[in-house]
Amino acid sequence: MAPSKKISLSEEDLVLALKSRETIAVQALYDMYSGALLGVISRIVSQQEIAEDLLQETFVKIWNSAEQYDASKGRLFTWMMNIARNLAIDKVRSKDFRNTSKNQDIENNVDFIDAQSKVTFNADILGLKDLVTALKPEFKHVLDMVYFRGYTHVEAAEELDLPLGTVKTRIRMAIMELRKNFN
Amino acid sequence: MEEVRAYIESGILELYVLGQLSAEEQREVEDMAAKYAEIRKEIEAIEIAMETYAMSNAVLPSEGLDLKILSAIEVLKTPGEAPSLPTAITEKTVTEPVQAPLVTAAYDSRIRSLRIALAACAALLLISLVALYSAHHELSNAQNQILALNRQNQSFAATVGYMKQNTADLQKLADMPADPNWKTVKLAGTKMDPAAKMIVYWHTTGKHVMVDNSKMALPANDQSHQYQLWALVNGKPVDLGVFDVKPDTAHILINMKEISGAQAFAVTLEKRGGSVSPTMNQMIVMGGVSI
Repeated sequence: MAPSKKISLSEEDLVLALKSRETIAVQALYDMYSGALLGVISRIVSQQEIAEDLLQETFVKIWNSAEQYDASKGRLFTWMMNIARNLAIDKVRSKDFRNTSKNQDIENNVDFIDAQSKVTFNADILGLKDLVTALKPEFKHVLDMVYFRGYTHVEAAEELDLPLGTVKTRIRMAIMELRKNFN
Repeated sequence: MEEVRAYIESGILELYVLGQLSAEEQREVEDMAAKYAEIRKEIEAIEIAMETYAMSNAVLPSEGLDLKILSAIEVLKTPGEAPSLPTAITEKTVTEPVQAPLVTAAYDSRIRSLRIALAACAALLLISLVALYSAHHELSNAQNQILALNRQNQSFAATVGYMKQNTADLQKLADMPADPNWKTVKLAGTKMDPAAKMIVYWHTTGKHVMVDNSKMALPANDQSHQYQLWALVNGKPVDLGVFDVKPDTAHILINMKEISGAQAFAVTLEKRGGSVSPTMNQMIVMGGVSI
């Protein structure tokens, strides 16, 4: 990875550039977040070609609805991440997708993606993998279902046959654990 | 601050960041965040954690996807808007504005040529329809003409046949005086119809007997009756066949049965098809053969 070629802007500058419709914003967003966003999409839609089409749709939607982003309500990435995840979920639930694709069981997507060894690691957070995998499996599982696979926490509770409260607690514990590791 | 602590520990902020809350719950969290800096900070910390988690699970896109996406965005930009590109990325993006219009231009020209093709197809179809209609019209005209000609032809053939027959009959009549064997027998009306008369030609050696239709003066017979010609041979009547008298009879001469010798000829009105022996009170004409 050659960081000199990548564009990185502060979040304020990025939002400003995006809202004034400067192409550099898209370039910067792509360099900074395309991998993370594609990671989320790929865990819902495993076919790489479709996932990359969805990534393009995501960027187009980010571009088109930039005015709707309100920095006071959350970080830019959280907003983009929700756009990407919703587009992927809509795609998976669409009729044509269900009809045409030999779907991987959505359950297996994370393992499938990881097995393909496409997971790349940002240089800035080198050594992170160990920290993440150190997450307690039952916490990681619940968090991944909700964050990566498009389950609602209510659906996750039903799927895992756990009380809703337990699911909420595990999500919180998982995120606490992550915060500890990343700080 | 105890209230804020409890709010944070309820886990609602994590669900907020994960997009798991209803619109109403979201507003509530946003109100709380606006009120308490601590909640705002907590939300940001959760967001950064999730962001880092997503980063650590990144999947590298294919080579060139960035160019594809950037050109898609370029197309979306309002036409005419000058792209304000900082020098840092000029090199990388300089091909974009060129590429995008090229693609659109190719697409436009394809649509244009398809439109022309469509118009051409429609025109061809129209011409074909007109040609088909006109061909159909002419064909049915020709068919009518053929039918009319056919009818004309038939009527000519009939006329020719009629005239040939007439000519042959007239020729025969013209030849008769030259042949001494032809006897002309004039039959005169009886008291049943004194005005009636007719002529029978008889060839004594050839035995032919003919009735002259053109010199016939008998009343027309009805559907259930016919005239019957008899030869009187040594006082006995011999049947020579039946004939009709109609106002529009075509033939001049009517051939009757042959007879080798006769002293007289007579005609009676009989039931259709003739009788075995003549009904004497129905004899309308008769005449003797002059030697």
